[in-house]
Amino acid sequence: MRGLGIVDRPGAIFLILLVAAAILVPIANLVVPEGSPFHISNYLVPLLGKYLCYALLAVSVDLVWGYCGVLSLGHGAFFALGGYAMGMYLMRQIGARGVYGNPVLPDFMVFLNYKELPWFWYGFDWFPFAMIMALVVPGVLAFAFGWFAFRSRVTGVYLSIITQAMTFALMLAFFRNDMGFGGNNGLTDFKDILGFSISADSTRVTLFVLSAVALAAGYLLCRALVTSKYGKVLVAVRDAESRTRFLGYRVANYKLLAWTVSAMLAGAAGALYVPQVGIINPGEFAPANSIEIVIWVAVGGRGTLVGAALGALIVNAGKTWFTGVLPEAWLFALGALFVLVTLFLPRGVLGLWGSLSARRHKPAPSAVASAKPAE
Amino acid sequence: MTISLMRLVLSALLGLVLLGAGPGFVTEGRSQGAADIAPAVARFAADSYSDTEAGLAALALSPNPQAAAIVDAVGDGRLMFDPATKTVYVKTKAGGLTDAATGAAVTTAPADLKTVRLNNRVRRAVEAAAGALALASPDAAKRIDAAGAVFKSRDVAALPALDAAIARERDTDVKAALAQARAAIILTKVDAPEAERIAATKLIVDRGDQEALALLAGVPADASPALRTAADAGIEKINRSLAFWNVAQNIWYGLSLGSVLLLAAIGLAITFGVMGVINMAHGEMVMLGAYTTFVVQELIRTKAPYLFDWSLAIALPLAFLFTGLVGIVIERTVIRFLYGRPLETLLATWGISLMLQQATRTIFGPTNKEVGAPSWMSGAFQLGQLSITYNRLCIIIFALGVFFALLVVLKRTSLGLYVRAVTQNRRMAGAMGIRTGRIDALTFGLGSGIAGIAGVALSQIDNVSPNLGQGYIIDSFMVVVFGGVGNLWGTLVAAFSLGIANKLLEPFAGAVLAKIALLVFIILFIQKRPRGLFALKGRAVES
Amino acid sequence: MLEFLGRTTKGIGALAAAAALAASIGAANAQETIKVGILHSLSGTMAISETTLKNAMLMLIDEQNKKGGVLGKKLEAVVVDPASNWPLFAEKARELITKDKVAVVFGCWTSVSRKSVLPVFKELNSILFYPVQYEGEESERNVFYTGAAPNQQAIPAVDYLAKEEKVERWVLAGTDYVYPRTTNKILEAYLKSKGVKSEDIMINYTPFGQSDWQTIVADIKKFGSAGKKTAVVSTINGDANVPFYKELANQGIKATDIPVVAFSVGEEELAGIDTKPLVGHLAAWNYFMSIKTPENDAFIKQWQTFMKNPKAVTNDPMEAHYIGFNMWVQAVTKAGSVDPDKVIDALPGTKQPNLTGGVSEMLPNHHITKPVFIGEIEDNGQFNVVWKTDNLIPGEAWSKQLEGSKDLVADWVQLKCGNYDSVKKVCLGTATK
Repeated sequence: MRGLGIVDRPGAIFLILLVAAAILVPIANLVVPEGSPFHISNYLVPLLGKYLCYALLAVSVDLVWGYCGVLSLGHGAFFALGGYAMGMYLMRQIGARGVYGNPVLPDFMVFLNYKELPWFWYGFDWFPFAMIMALVVPGVLAFAFGWFAFRSRVTGVYLSIITQAMTFALMLAFFRNDMGFGGNNGLTDFKDILGFSISADSTRVTLFVLSAVALAAGYLLCRALVTSKYGKVLVAVRDAESRTRFLGYRVANYKLLAWTVSAMLAGAAGALYVPQVGIINPGEFAPANSIEIVIWVAVGGRGTLVGAALGALIVNAGKTWFTGVLPEAWLFALGALFVLVTLFLPRGVLGLWGSLSARRHKPAPSAVASAKPAE
Repeated sequence: MTISLMRLVLSALLGLVLLGAGPGFVTEGRSQGAADIAPAVARFAADSYSDTEAGLAALALSPNPQAAAIVDAVGDGRLMFDPATKTVYVKTKAGGLTDAATGAAVTTAPADLKTVRLNNRVRRAVEAAAGALALASPDAAKRIDAAGAVFKSRDVAALPALDAAIARERDTDVKAALAQARAAIILTKVDAPEAERIAATKLIVDRGDQEALALLAGVPADASPALRTAADAGIEKINRSLAFWNVAQNIWYGLSLGSVLLLAAIGLAITFGVMGVINMAHGEMVMLGAYTTFVVQELIRTKAPYLFDWSLAIALPLAFLFTGLVGIVIERTVIRFLYGRPLETLLATWGISLMLQQATRTIFGPTNKEVGAPSWMSGAFQLGQLSITYNRLCIIIFALGVFFALLVVLKRTSLGLYVRAVTQNRRMAGAMGIRTGRIDALTFGLGSGIAGIAGVALSQIDNVSPNLGQGYIIDSFMVVVFGGVGNLWGTLVAAFSLGIANKLLEPFAGAVLAKIALLVFIILFIQKRPRGLFALKGRAVES
Repeated sequence: MLEFLGRTTKGIGALAAAAALAASIGAANAQETIKVGILHSLSGTMAISETTLKNAMLMLIDEQNKKGGVLGKKLEAVVVDPASNWPLFAEKARELITKDKVAVVFGCWTSVSRKSVLPVFKELNSILFYPVQYEGEESERNVFYTGAAPNQQAIPAVDYLAKEEKVERWVLAGTDYVYPRTTNKILEAYLKSKGVKSEDIMINYTPFGQSDWQTIVADIKKFGSAGKKTAVVSTINGDANVPFYKELANQGIKATDIPVVAFSVGEEELAGIDTKPLVGHLAAWNYFMSIKTPENDAFIKQWQTFMKNPKAVTNDPMEAHYIGFNMWVQAVTKAGSVDPDKVIDALPGTKQPNLTGGVSEMLPNHHITKPVFIGEIEDNGQFNVVWKTDNLIPGEAWSKQLEGSKDLVADWVQLKCGNYDSVKKVCLGTATK
């Protein structure tokens, strides 16, 4: 395993699975004929793509929570901002195909009597600009927010609550129709992306593959960060912040880097998410969404990165399954899942796997077991 | 309330004349005393709002004792008519039936009686007519109400009755009210002498409220210059005083919002502030308290309606016990395994909150439940130009009461001592012989119970639905954190300052921007004081 | 390394097999019954309104099956929970159409949920029946709008207030989302065209779930005491209504002083409020439970039996589903198939007696004709109908009052276009593709 350097055992399995999915899903969807048991339907592809975006989001949260001790209850905001950047690009691509046939203004602006495009919409018709914005806007917001918060040594639950205040304030702001982002309806009815129809099977598959690639890249980036010397200090900050500071490290800067990178990853996840679900609206800023992201990480196993991704997949697949099978009672199942995981799997699903395999091969000091998050 | 109503009544009268009830009827009715009200009564049988209104207008001028009974009956929906014979009946409050025109009891009720229908127009006419009729009531309070009704209706036709009432009035309060009502009529009466109208302006200005402002603003621009000037000066004077009262009113609203925030947050100040559990199920405890109130009221409605005014008082201890018990169960089954891992309590309590919401939805259904207000909590009183509603006042007093009771429990009882000991140093407390597990359960139960009684109060102003708790959870956390975790006084100050700031901002910024501004303020404030308004000092906070 | 690969491939195989199994189960069942999708939130903030509609659909399907189903096949309801989460609406719509292979979907409440599922219905060419009054400005081939368009609710209500209550000053209060925004814009333009001055119109928007109404109600009171008769036209959304009405009652604003006419408050919402202080406030709908017709009496009885609750109330969106469902049954019978294209073509022109004594017709613009009723709240939580239109009003997809849409026409029968510009003579959107 040393050959892969920064990647540990669960990480290797995870990457192999991702690569396999990125290859097999397109084949199973496009090549394998419908009716074959190995066919993956058009319904499943964007769904799986959505899970991968959520997984990337969870990985980004795990970077700051699992390795730096910053519990963010506002990561949904970064995700949504990235999503809005992509949404704005997609809106501009509709062009004159909107119901009012206006070549410049999106439909919602036409009926809210906008005469011209607001300045902050400029440039979003150009894909590279929109994609840069999807990373830069969350990054800058996170940097500014972290700059103040970490320097003032806001920690623990105070930090969590102000991140929640941030996403809540953004939600209220985006709900306002006067903001120029479509209010509650958000941005929807997208037509195409880079000239490809957004509802074409091939576009969907491409987006899925891109999501898988982004997840792998995001994972590797985080992994590179946490296994470096920088990462060691980060963990030190998590476990004993004052002690690290007294040793001469500039704790705020260490936190700030992880925090900003994490926000940008969340933004990227959001940008990939929007074309696959077809809508972005202020509901994504809801504090409850951000809490849920943290729960994915906890379910999968905090401080493992792979666990975060796994948690996102398990919880969301569970949600999809339960809302269809038990529409009246799925909240019981989901709620019980959260309670049981906390009680019986304190280190998440991955922690369970780690301790099981540790029992089998005695000397297997995995990163999972050693990463014991301290509070 | 409006001039248009006056026009309406006048036109109704005119209509009466044209329709052949005859001018004689109106004048005769007045002069003869016990006049024949039959033509007016007959109009109620026409089953049309306009006719009902005209009938009421005619009755308002009638000295016939039956008139008041009929007007009352219309307002209460007790006036019936037989579509076949066009006879009109009054259903008495006791349930009997009398002939409307004569007042004679009817023994055999006709089969298909229809109720005379009401709409807002008719209701206004009822108020106006009842006002004119009640001017002669022996009850002073009723006379004041009547004066108010006439003030609103500005019914010129009521002027003679009003003059007569003023002449025989002895009570100064009633007299003042009557004089204001008269001034309102004179001011709007175009053909009144100018001097009299200007004098009326003065009386109106003295009243000094929105209604007065409306009246003065209603003076047409083409009125005589002297009158116009008097009105304008009056408007300015009232506006000046109202500007002051506006600020007072906003502060009052702020206090009231603050008390709601305090109620919502105070239980959390225990479970989160004192115990350190990030209790996402707190909102659901509030919801359970509100549903307890609903259940209590429902039982009272079916079993003992006479207790309804006591329903909240009965619900309070029950809500406390029930939610407290639920809290203890949650603590014993889940949370006690999580001490020392506060962030994981977030996960577990979030799961619990989902289950509690869905359980409520399954048992009570997803729709809002009706929780009524006891009679002593409805209504308002005037403090200067400030209208203070009893229900908001009760909530403020109640919130403060709960706060101080909690403070006493924590600071002055042995339970409070144990709670503080356990939360400050669990192992030491255990070594001193305190059964820490029991104290944990009781503390969590206390916090939950208080959330429950907050729910009883909040059921008075908000939806009682499974989503009730979700609306308060974020605000509650903001309040507790802003005030400083673990400090009850901080929670109090934070709740009221956020409430008042919100309400002072709202008139300028609007509801949404005011809230956003406050959230940004909290974020910035925490940078300045990373441990909230009243930070705990000492080593414990660094852990 | 090999060891991992072995385990990994096994895992993938198992996954794929599971997915295939799920898909094949769906396919097998589609042969025996006709599936009807129900896409209403059963949890989250909208559950409060939408759960009833799910139950209403179950009742209608049950009833139809007792009559022998459709085309000799039984109907089968497929219920999913989109949990008041808008992206989840799109996902669930896709699941219903591709995985469960439903023939038609009845669902959505909020505009945003409809906007969210719209691309899915277009892409997969299926049919959605949308039962709630909405802001208009839309006509899609795959969607049938059985709720009221603004001209079937808002404008008649304002006319009534101006005529009957002699209202001269207007407060347009709404929750800040697209339905109130559009409705208020239409009303503002309409009122101005009737000679109301700008200073006599106050527009106020509040966020979702607004619970503290003290300041706004005080403002309304102030606005209403300017010497002219004032009324509030409320497009306040579900949850915020209870505290709003409680505050009105608290501050002593009676219907005789400042009447409030609401477009989103029906019997269901009133069931959660003590209505005594609200007597006389108004609502405009196309259906009231209190309307006495034999059809309505039967419907109410059926509903109360189905819910096993003698106090269960019916409301306007339920009637919309009743009309929509029966129209769909007729169209399927006429087309002899559940094929979406055939059913979409068969639907316009379908006539269905509504519950208030008229016959509603599906128009070529995919909206229906409806009567408009104005009701005053009574102390028993019901509405007393004080006014109704003489005839059924055809729903207008595009408002005549709005600058952007006054020239647009929707006609899926002749023009085959939902947004035809009658001046430029083109079907907007598609033409420039």
